[in-house]
Amino acid sequence: MLALRDIRRRFGQTTAVDGLSLEVRAGEVFGLLGPNGAGKSTTIAIATGLLAPDSGSVDLLGMGSPSDPKVRMHLGLAPQEITLYAELTARENLRFFADLYGVADARARVDELLALVELDARAHDRVSTFSGGMKRRLNLAAALVHDPRLVLLDEPTAGVDPQSRNRILELVRRLASEGKTVVYTTHYMEEAAKICDRVGIVDHGRLLDVGTVAELVARHGGQSAVTVERDGVEQRILTADPVAEVARQFTLVDGGADGGTGPVTGVRIERPDLETVFLALTGRSLRE
Amino acid sequence: MRAIAAIARKDLRLLFRDKGDVFFTFVFPVVIAVLFGFVFGGGSGGGGTIDLAVVRESDSTLARGLADDLAKDPSFTTTSFETREAAADAVRAGKATAAVILPKSLDAGLEGLFSGQGIAIDAVVDPSRRAEAGLIQGKLNELAFRQFPKLFSNSTEMKRAYSAARDSIANARGLSPTQKLLGAGMITAAESFSSSIGGEPTADTGAAPASDGAFFAPIAVKVEELAPRAGRPRAAFDVTFPQGIVWGLAGCFGAFAASLVTERSRGTLDRLRLAPITAFHLISGKAIACLVAGLLVQALVFTVAILFFGARIAQPAMLVVAAFAAAFAFAGLAMALAAFCRTEAEANGAGRGAILILALIGGGTIPLFFMPPFLRTLSYGSPFRWAVAAIEGPFWRDTPLSEQVVPLVVLIGIGFLGWIVGARALWRPFAR
Repeated sequence: MLALRDIRRRFGQTTAVDGLSLEVRAGEVFGLLGPNGAGKSTTIAIATGLLAPDSGSVDLLGMGSPSDPKVRMHLGLAPQEITLYAELTARENLRFFADLYGVADARARVDELLALVELDARAHDRVSTFSGGMKRRLNLAAALVHDPRLVLLDEPTAGVDPQSRNRILELVRRLASEGKTVVYTTHYMEEAAKICDRVGIVDHGRLLDVGTVAELVARHGGQSAVTVERDGVEQRILTADPVAEVARQFTLVDGGADGGTGPVTGVRIERPDLETVFLALTGRSLRE
Repeated sequence: MRAIAAIARKDLRLLFRDKGDVFFTFVFPVVIAVLFGFVFGGGSGGGGTIDLAVVRESDSTLARGLADDLAKDPSFTTTSFETREAAADAVRAGKATAAVILPKSLDAGLEGLFSGQGIAIDAVVDPSRRAEAGLIQGKLNELAFRQFPKLFSNSTEMKRAYSAARDSIANARGLSPTQKLLGAGMITAAESFSSSIGGEPTADTGAAPASDGAFFAPIAVKVEELAPRAGRPRAAFDVTFPQGIVWGLAGCFGAFAASLVTERSRGTLDRLRLAPITAFHLISGKAIACLVAGLLVQALVFTVAILFFGARIAQPAMLVVAAFAAAFAFAGLAMALAAFCRTEAEANGAGRGAILILALIGGGTIPLFFMPPFLRTLSYGSPFRWAVAAIEGPFWRDTPLSEQVVPLVVLIGIGFLGWIVGARALWRPFAR
């Protein structure tokens, strides 16, 4: 669906994207996970043709570069910034973009999208009166107005309340269920883990690894940790099978030399996650 | 075409939803036109000089003296013309406020005065500058009187006059020999007196004669207004409404320049770039919006002028052409300004600044005829001047097409230039 090959892009002395290659498969939700400044937005801009790479190539749908308007017709972008006309209403914004794309029966399509992002009740209100979450949803709707096959969402939940975030994540799942391919950039690992079929870890403009969350965790997350408490003493045990380890601990009389004595009074399991993966790959936390 | 129409519709909606833009585009021009109309309605002008076209058909001392004094007078800036027609054209084209013709009859000099013909000077004035016509008439009388001491102290001129007078008396059929002798004696006495006070010209004191010419009126200044055309101005409002219109166009210019920069700074330009449209669609859409807004403001101002101030349009079809040309020029300027500005603050600051400067030097605030000559020369660089000229022609001047061509061509040229500069700047982000 989307292939980036050895993409490089510099801004002055700063290398934003450094030899990044990735392939997004049709119908999947692909997450680009990385901290702020990792090069995610630059990658998206190059993937959409908004920015030309210094070197490397982009291929969309096997049709070539998105610099060709015919190819570009198949992608929709919801940029990180709210790129809407604040003094137009929600309906006017969507209608404008529908007209730009020559959408047939634009009125019906606009109604459909307003219902999809649950803004039909506010269709005639100006965007400037909307909350952050409502603007985000409308920003996403504007990317869908021409029913693209590939949707690129650049940090679509940035700065929104938990309720709006959940609505957006539900929306992404719904798009995936309709067969659309979604590229989703975020620095929230929970979001990536929740909705992405595959995740690419990005840092300093490089793609460090790609895979399903389970594959990444298996490759880089290490073992789970089971913390067992006996008589006020905690014992941390690394294991590949934490459930089996917990069961085993309940069969023991005491914790041995490093553990407490007596029966188990508490158990805590810590499984490796994308945060652990990122830490393992970069030596620092995603939130740093 | 649908994309272009969508962009134009969207930009017009945004214009009408911005109270500041609505004020500067639609309200401010009417206020300016009405206010300046009242200010200039009864006034006779400020401290600037009056442009005079001077035609010297006579090479007499009197004619030369008058022409020199007109040139030296601080109230006037004179330009010499060969023919009356050329001078009248200059007045009609607004290049001169009035034309002064020093006719062939001035060749008679003092002979004419002594023979009772008087000194006749013709003046042709722009009907919209009646306020200055009185001043010009008074000045001509004053300057003509100033020539008398020079003529009476010019020995050659006087000898010629005395000789002509003697011949005239000698040949007069109705006079008896005694009357002829008496007349010749008076001429000789006057000649002796004249010789006794010296033959060199007296110093010009610059003072006007004491006589007001009520009982002796040797100078006749015949003022002729240009053959009135249908669009003769009825009031100062006819002059100030075109000024108001260009302020409205300037309001559009500022608003649309800022709108393009806003598209860039707020990221909507990226959405436009992703859509299957080219820079041509975007520029065309914005052009149409700016053009429509420019035409709307002109329609509004003309409606107010006609309904409330009794204005009449001399050439409606040509006025539509001029309105298009003016709107096109300012739309082009908006695109050019947007090309140079990176931020909204820059566009607003530079836009308003450019408008003020161009308006000031282009006669948008103070009419050109009130300005000193160097500012009038500078005004050729302002689209305000050309827009006012283009609109005034078919509005009330009723100038022939040949005279309307220049401002129209200049405006269209400005428009194209602006579009090219703006398009180049916009084309870059669209080129991948």
